[in-house]
Amino acid sequence: MSIIYVLIPIALLLVCIAVAVFFWAVKSNQFEDLERHGSSILFDDDLPKKATKTQPSSNKSDE
Amino acid sequence: MQTKCFHCGLVTTPQFTYHTMVQGKQQDFCCPGCAAVAAAIVNNGLEDYYHYRSEFAEKATENADDFLEKLKVFDDDNILQEFVEDQGNASEIQLTVSGINCAACAWLIEKQLAKVKGINKVGVNVSARRATVTWDNQQLKFSQILSHIEKIGYHAKPFQPEQHEATFRQENKEFLKRLGLAGLMTMQVMMLNIGVFFDLFGHIDAQTKQYFNWISLLLTTPVILYSASEFYSSAWRALRAKLVNMDVPITLAITLTYVSGVFATIQNSGQTYFESLCMLVFFLLISRYLEHSARYRSSQLSANMLEYMPTTATLIEGSQLTPILAKSLKTEQRVLVKSGDMVPVDGVIIEGEGQLDEAMLTGEFDLVSKSIGETVFAGTVNQLGTLTIKVNKTLKDSMLNQINMLQNKALLSKPKIASLADQFSQYFVMAVLLISLSSYIIWLQIDASQAFWITISILIATCPCALGLATPSALSCAVAHLNSKGVLLKRADALEQISQVDWVALDKTGTLTEGKFTLDTCFCAQNQDKATCLEIAASLEQYSSHPIAKAFSELPSEYLVKDFSAKVGQGVSGTIEGVSYKLGSLSFVNLNVPIQMQGCNVFLSTQDKVLCGFLLTDKIRESSGELISEMEGKYLTLLSGDIPSVVENVANSLNIPNWLAQQTPEDKLNVIKQAQAEQHVVLMVGDGINDGPVLAQADVSVTLGAGSDLAKSSADVILLDNSLEKITLVFAIAKRCKVKIIQNISWALAYNLLVLPLAVSGLLSPWMAVVGMSLSSLIVVVNSIRLLK
Repeated sequence: MSIIYVLIPIALLLVCIAVAVFFWAVKSNQFEDLERHGSSILFDDDLPKKATKTQPSSNKSDE
Repeated sequence: MQTKCFHCGLVTTPQFTYHTMVQGKQQDFCCPGCAAVAAAIVNNGLEDYYHYRSEFAEKATENADDFLEKLKVFDDDNILQEFVEDQGNASEIQLTVSGINCAACAWLIEKQLAKVKGINKVGVNVSARRATVTWDNQQLKFSQILSHIEKIGYHAKPFQPEQHEATFRQENKEFLKRLGLAGLMTMQVMMLNIGVFFDLFGHIDAQTKQYFNWISLLLTTPVILYSASEFYSSAWRALRAKLVNMDVPITLAITLTYVSGVFATIQNSGQTYFESLCMLVFFLLISRYLEHSARYRSSQLSANMLEYMPTTATLIEGSQLTPILAKSLKTEQRVLVKSGDMVPVDGVIIEGEGQLDEAMLTGEFDLVSKSIGETVFAGTVNQLGTLTIKVNKTLKDSMLNQINMLQNKALLSKPKIASLADQFSQYFVMAVLLISLSSYIIWLQIDASQAFWITISILIATCPCALGLATPSALSCAVAHLNSKGVLLKRADALEQISQVDWVALDKTGTLTEGKFTLDTCFCAQNQDKATCLEIAASLEQYSSHPIAKAFSELPSEYLVKDFSAKVGQGVSGTIEGVSYKLGSLSFVNLNVPIQMQGCNVFLSTQDKVLCGFLLTDKIRESSGELISEMEGKYLTLLSGDIPSVVENVANSLNIPNWLAQQTPEDKLNVIKQAQAEQHVVLMVGDGINDGPVLAQADVSVTLGAGSDLAKSSADVILLDNSLEKITLVFAIAKRCKVKIIQNISWALAYNLLVLPLAVSGLLSPWMAVVGMSLSSLIVVVNSIRLLK
C-alpha cells in the first residue's frame, strides 16, 4: 500500500498540469465556438487544404 | 414536380430557372443571384461546401453591387478606425456575417478568404455568426474583403460589440475556469473517498486514512476558495440588501462543512465530507454555467442585429463634393442626395425634386414627392431625382433619432414580471434556514454529537437548486429549439409572457402584407390583347426604379423602348414600335377612362386612348390568414399608418374585427399603453422603424427578419425567415415550456418536502444529501432538455 504515497502526489501533479492546460485553453478562446469545431474535422478533405486553414499565413507564401 | 433551388432551397418557377454546373451536374437555381453565388463557389474549388452543409443557404441578393458600393465607405480610414484594431502592418476587425446557417458556411468563408492575398488570418464563429479577420492593409482594401464574402452569398458588416457583451464574455470564461477546476478536483477527491467509503482497498489503516484526508483537503481548498467564490459574493450581496437568496444556505453549508472538515483533519478525529463539498460546488456551477452561457449567446446574437452602418453624406463645399460621416454634419451645411441614396440627415430641399420612400418612418411604401422648400427626414430613401438639401437638424436631433429615443424610453418602462421562482425561493430559503436552525437546537438536546452534521444535511438536501433551475433550464431549451427553427428569441422570459397574451396588435404593411405592389387585376379595353398590353407595360417599367415597376418585373418584356422618360410622382412614357405609350396615374394619362377600369390605379394609354387599366395592390402574405385563424380567442387589432380605405380592405379580407388607420408611432404607442392599462398582455407584430417604440412597449413583440434594424433591436422575437405562421410555433413552444416549468417546479418542491423529514430525523448523511440534491437537479435538467425535440 505504501506505493500510494508516491502515486498520489504524481496524480496531483498531473491534475495541476491538467488544470493549467484547461485554463490556458479557456484563455485562448478555445471554448468560444463549440458548434463549428465539432464538425470541422469532417470538412477537411485533404492535407494541403488543412494546412491552409490552420495556418492561413503560410498559404500566402504558396501563392 | 416542384424543383427546388440548389443553393437556397426555395421552390423555383419553371419559366425563371437558371442553371449552373455543380459537382458535374446541371443544377437548377431560383434566381441569377443564387446561380452566380454557386458558380463563384464552384470556380473557387469550394464545391465541397454543398457536400458538407446541413442547411440550405440563404437566398442570394440580386443587387449585391449596390450593397458593395455602399460598403466602400469603410475604405475611408477615419471610418474604419472605429472598428479596427491595429497590429502594426496588419489590421484586425470583427464582422457580423449574416447567412451563416451551419458549420459548412464557416468552412466556406474561411476557405474563400484564405485564398485572398493579403489576408493573414480568418476565424469564423458559427454560434455567434461572426468572423474575425486580420489582413495586411497595405495589400488589401477592406471593401475587397467584404466583396469576397459577398461573392459566395454572405453579407458581412463591421460592427461594434455592445458594452455589456464584453463583460458577459469575461464572466463566461470565469465560469468555465471555475467549473473546470471544480470538475477536475471533484474527480480526484471522489476517487480517493469512494475507495474509502466502500472499502475498496480492503482494510485501511488510520494513517492512510489520515493521509487521504490531507490530500482531499489539499484538493478541495482551491474549489472552495476559487470555484465557489461566486456563491459567497452573491450571498453577501443579498444579505447586505437585507434579503436572502439561494446562495445563503449554500454558502452556509459550504463554509461550515469545509471548516469542520479542516478541524477534523488537523485533529485527526471526526468526519470529513470533502467529496460532497466538491460535488456540490461542481453541480451548482454546471447549472449556473448553462444558464449564463444561454444568456451570453442570446446577447451576442442580438448585438449582431444592431449592424452598425455609419451613414455617410456627400457634402457640397463650393464646387467640391466630399464624403463625410453623417453624424458630423452641422446645420446650414449643404448635402447632395443622389437617386437611390439614403437621406443622411433631416433637412430642407433647396434644389431639385425627388420621390422619397418614407417607409422607414411611416411604414407605408407609397413614394412621396417632395420639392424645393419641403423637409426630408434622415433614414428615408430618395428613389428618384437628385436633391440638394440644407441641413436643419443634426443627426442627433433628427426624426430618426427621436423615434429611437421613444423606443428606448418604452423599453425602460416595459413591465417586467419578476420571475415567480425567484420570489418563491426567497420564502423557501427563509424556511430552510429556520428549519435548520430549529432542528440544530432540538438535536443539541437529543444528541449533541450528531446535531452539526444533521443541520448540514438539511441545508444541502433542501437547497432549492432544482427549484432555481426549473425555470431557466426550461427556458433556455425552448429558446434553443426555436433558434433551430429560424426563430430568434432575444429575451428568454418573453416565453413566459407569451402564453398569457390575450391582446394582439398587428402592423399591416410589410407584416401582414408583403410590403410591395403586385399586379392584382388587369382590365383591357375592347379589341386589346391582354398579353400584349402587359408586355408593353413591363417593357416600359423595366427602366423605372419606382416600387410600382417591381410589380411588372416578372413579366416578359421583349419590346425595345425608345425615348423613355419618367415623370416624378406620375408615370413613365416611351415609344415602342413607333407608337408612343404612357403608363401611370389617371392624371398623367389624362384621358377618359372606360367604366370597367374605374377601380384601377395605373393606366396604359396611347396618345388618344386608354388601352388597359391595372389594379396594383399590396399582396397579403399567404401565412397571414393562417396566423389570424390561429389567434382565435384573442383580441386582434390592426394598426396601420396607411389610409383608412386600404386598411379596412385588408382587415375585412383577413377577418380582423378591429382596425385603426393613419396611426403615427405615438398613436400606436398609446393604443398599446391603453390596452396594457386594461390589464391585457399585449403581443405586437410589426416590422418598420415606426413600429420600433410599439414593439418595445408591448409585453411581447415579434418582428420579421426583413424588418428594419430598429424594429429588430426592440423586438423580443425575430422570425428570421419572414414566415408569420412561425408565431404559432412560438405559441406552441411557449405552452410546452410553461408545462415543463410547472412540472419542474412541482418536482423540485415535492423532492424537497419529501427529503426534509428524512434530513431532520437524521437519516441522511451529508453525502446522501448531495447525491439527492444533484439527482433532483439532474431530473429537472433532463426534463427540460426534452423541450429540444
